[in-house]
Amino acid sequence: MATREDIETYIGRVALGDRAAFAALYSATSAKLFGVTLRVLNNRAEADDALQEVFIKVWRAADRYQTNGLSPMTWLITIARNHAIDRLRARKKGQAGLDEVAELADSAPGPEQQAIASSARAQINDCLDELPKDRAEAVRRVYLDGDTYQDLADAMQVPLNTMRTWLRRSLIKLKDCLSQ
Amino acid sequence: MTDDVTDDAPLSAAAEYALGLLTPAQARAFEADMNSDLSLRAELAHWQEHFVTLTDDIAPVTPPKATFDAISARLFDAPQLRRNWFGWLAGAASAVVTAAAVMTVVLPAPNPTTNDLVAGLVGADIDLRVDATFDPDTNTLLLNRVAGAPADGRVLEMWLIAGDDAPISLGLLPDAQTGQVQIAADLAARVAGGILALSDEPLGGSPTGAPTGDVVALAPFSSV
Repeated sequence: MATREDIETYIGRVALGDRAAFAALYSATSAKLFGVTLRVLNNRAEADDALQEVFIKVWRAADRYQTNGLSPMTWLITIARNHAIDRLRARKKGQAGLDEVAELADSAPGPEQQAIASSARAQINDCLDELPKDRAEAVRRVYLDGDTYQDLADAMQVPLNTMRTWLRRSLIKLKDCLSQ
Repeated sequence: MTDDVTDDAPLSAAAEYALGLLTPAQARAFEADMNSDLSLRAELAHWQEHFVTLTDDIAPVTPPKATFDAISARLFDAPQLRRNWFGWLAGAASAVVTAAAVMTVVLPAPNPTTNDLVAGLVGADIDLRVDATFDPDTNTLLLNRVAGAPADGRVLEMWLIAGDDAPISLGLLPDAQTGQVQIAADLAARVAGGILALSDEPLGGSPTGAPTGDVVALAPFSSV
């Protein structure tokens, strides 16, 4: 199994146009990324098409990965998740495209950020568990199902502004918990 | 429950940006803020590392065998696009001769935002240049007819060719030099990786739902 260093090396070589490294990167990470696009889109053909587009983006954006503070799998999964959710939301208007989110982060990592990747695992679940159950579920639905504030407001039968306030408060609590 | 945090408690837009909860305008504003404030970038990376662990439970699924070849073809094998196109054209013999002479050129669009897709169409046999920019945030296709016009008494009809499917009409090229058309949501999802084509049609557009006249220009959509 490819290590984090392997994947970083592949991405670095892909940034230089190395097709063999691109094949190696695909072979090491495509199953996880397909799992993600499949989970979000829940349709094999669409998830397959999304996966193709994700790797096209990766090929084109690899030079912007460099040392951007994200672990390589976070960068890749974030591109896959954002792209899948953009597709899912294609019917909805007025929602920001997410595709650029992962590509934008290109600041050099501080030691703190480098430490995050290892400690983040599972921590968010512990912190979500400290929120009221419906609020934690709302955060998960936004991340994994692409729910918007309006979707959540409709599902929970509350006004949009109420939903926004609730979720922002939940994010503040989450931030406090994650920083402990 | 009681919320023990006031509505005004400090929360930057980083978390909502990472989740995709901002409106396009809010997202652009956050991006501008990030450019001048590196701590916001660090905060965004922080949230992304945490949120991504929500995918830890998602089991890997081996993609279909053909997928990598499809990606390679889309990236490295430009003629692949035209093979698909000609594959479809085989059923429309009258258009083949003209299409064979069509050039494809990708031109940058003015002031594109990061996720726009552009297609620059240049007619080979006629003087025609059309720049098309698709905005996935709004599902609008902006058209700028830089040069040329349809023949008298004729119109140009736009077609989206996605994968191996038959062309899907996107309506008529606007009469004005610049214009925009709204793309239906189900089609909008297929613009990326698709090809934009223009065909010469009678007034009112193709009567059959498929191109009936010559294909005068075509180009793939590509990221800016």
